[in-house]
Amino acid sequence: MNVLETQNVTKVFQEGREQVNVLNGVSLALEAGEIVALEGPSGSGKTTFLSIVGCILTPSSGRVFVDGEEVDSLNPAQLPEIRKKSIGFVFQQYNLFPSLTALENVQYALKIKGKTGPAARKEADKALESVGLTDRKNFLPRDLSGGQKQRVALARALAGAPPLMLADEPTANLDTQLGTQIIELFRESAKRDNRGVLIVTHDPKVRTIADRVLQIRDGRILQ
Amino acid sequence: MVDLAFKSLLHDKLKFAITVAGVAFAVMLVFVQVGLFMGLMDNATITIQNISADLWVTSKNTPNIDFSHAFPQAYVERVRTIPGVERADNLIIWFSQLSLPSGAQEGTEIYALEDFSKWNLPWNIQSGDVEQLRRGRYIMMDNSAIKRYGKFEVGEYREINESRFKIIGRTRDARSFTTTPLTFMDYRLVQGLNQQQLTNRTTYILVKVASGADINTVQKEIQRRLPFNDVYTKQQWANKSRSYWIVNTGLGLNMAVTVFLGCLVGIVIVAQTLYSSTMEHLKEFGTVKAIGGSNADIYSILTKQASIAAIAGYVVGAGMAYGLRPAMAKVDLKLMISNELSVMVFVGALVLCLGAAMISFRKVASIDPALVFRT
Ligand SMILES: Nc1ncnc2c1ncn2[C@@H]1O[C@H](COP(=O)(O)OP(=O)(O)OP(=O)(O)O)[C@@H](O)[C@H]1O
Ligand SMILES: [Mg+2]
Repeated sequence: MNVLETQNVTKVFQEGREQVNVLNGVSLALEAGEIVALEGPSGSGKTTFLSIVGCILTPSSGRVFVDGEEVDSLNPAQLPEIRKKSIGFVFQQYNLFPSLTALENVQYALKIKGKTGPAARKEADKALESVGLTDRKNFLPRDLSGGQKQRVALARALAGAPPLMLADEPTANLDTQLGTQIIELFRESAKRDNRGVLIVTHDPKVRTIADRVLQIRDGRILQ
Repeated sequence: MVDLAFKSLLHDKLKFAITVAGVAFAVMLVFVQVGLFMGLMDNATITIQNISADLWVTSKNTPNIDFSHAFPQAYVERVRTIPGVERADNLIIWFSQLSLPSGAQEGTEIYALEDFSKWNLPWNIQSGDVEQLRRGRYIMMDNSAIKRYGKFEVGEYREINESRFKIIGRTRDARSFTTTPLTFMDYRLVQGLNQQQLTNRTTYILVKVASGADINTVQKEIQRRLPFNDVYTKQQWANKSRSYWIVNTGLGLNMAVTVFLGCLVGIVIVAQTLYSSTMEHLKEFGTVKAIGGSNADIYSILTKQASIAAIAGYVVGAGMAYGLRPAMAKVDLKLMISNELSVMVFVGALVLCLGAAMISFRKVASIDPALVFRT
């Protein structure tokens, strides 16, 4: 089954009086357990595409299906629900909550998803364990290294076991060795939990773990 | 349970301290200003509250207890014949001049009755026996007079309207709004001191209503029999005396303005710190939205933070106000903090802080979760 499918997605931004066509009909399918790397030069529309499939932006035209459900861009109230239920995000900037410990960052994501109490605590522990951070779980983000932060972010994205994981340049702020560790963890999480993973990146290392590599140029996927 | 609101608020301790200090300052300001006002108002009616009269007969249009006017003392006989009246006595309240040993003169407000013990006046006796007052040229003075008259001792003499009186006792807590010290003296003696105005005249009639009798019925009947006087229940008379000072001195307005300013300072500080903290945490709120949180999730964070600031600020502010009480008492200022006032200030602080939080709501609603991808 496809955990993500897009059909002819376009995005037009209004820049003053000018229209900027950022995406010009992107069609893509991602199966459960599959890892796809989306590569492209700066400004090619990678983040824009990720935002659309992540139900953060709405497309100008085209259709998006997440976990078998069509995203209705006319119903904005549906978007947070899909994000909550089906999608885990990993950002280039980590975006951890600075006042919360590693464990609490994960627990907070679970709380947003409606999970609290001992079961949530256990799930958060497990997520941190799966990224190898058990011994740092009570650290605040400022006391963690970049690689550790990104692992917390990954654990947070795994919380609630979403079928689809979206990552925007997850290795951009990390050195080669840490980057390799992180993408290995992405691969594990995809294969272990049968999760679809879409990684937007410049980083050639990501190719090594991807099942497929797609190139995006000027808002189009190259065949 | 992970409490992002609480942790995030305490993450920047300095900022939190400033917010709490802002609320605390406003809370203290309101407590002190209203408390002092209540203290003054309490002095304005403290004798009315303590004298055990159910009804007061005054001359027509007497504005408050201190501004008394004389009327024929024989009216008391009419009151005594009214069914339901258990006891009725004349009370004179009269300003006189008291000469100090230094030769200086000070005002004094004389309370004069034939039988003090029947009316719980004075109600707090430190030394001496009120029964003795009618046995000679005796007076009792209140401790609070020390500030105006200097030290005095039982057994010493003081001159009032050029007559010598022996101090036979001291009282406590007997004050007036005017801050003129109270002196207790026999009814006939005060008439002798002011023969022109007070011969065969009184300034008030105190009435005790028999148990079982209806106060309002008795009040109406007295009013019918004494059409050229006013008749008040204890509470009505206290309210009338109090509102005279509130309205006619501008004291009420003065207090209202300070309370308003205190609230304004509080709300501006809280609104400003909450808003700037919202701006600083925009990316975090964007992340909350990106991982599926709603505006309501973020509103609840802001609401909770405002409530915490309100509660902490209230505790500190109330603590400071209570702490100031002894110091104020030393300079003879009575800070009265009633339970009602405490509750009202607490609710006020909470409501104002929540109102301040709402200023941030619009900002939060317009956060674009796409900002989480921006570097
Ligand atoms: N909100 C917006 N309004 C107008 N133009 C936008 C907006 N967001 C993105 N763009 C434009 O769309 C184009 C693609 O941007 P996007 O962020 O998707 O590129 P990217 O492939 O992620 O680049 P990078 O590798 O630098 O992150 C850019 O030219 C950008 O200026
Ligand atoms: Mg990008």
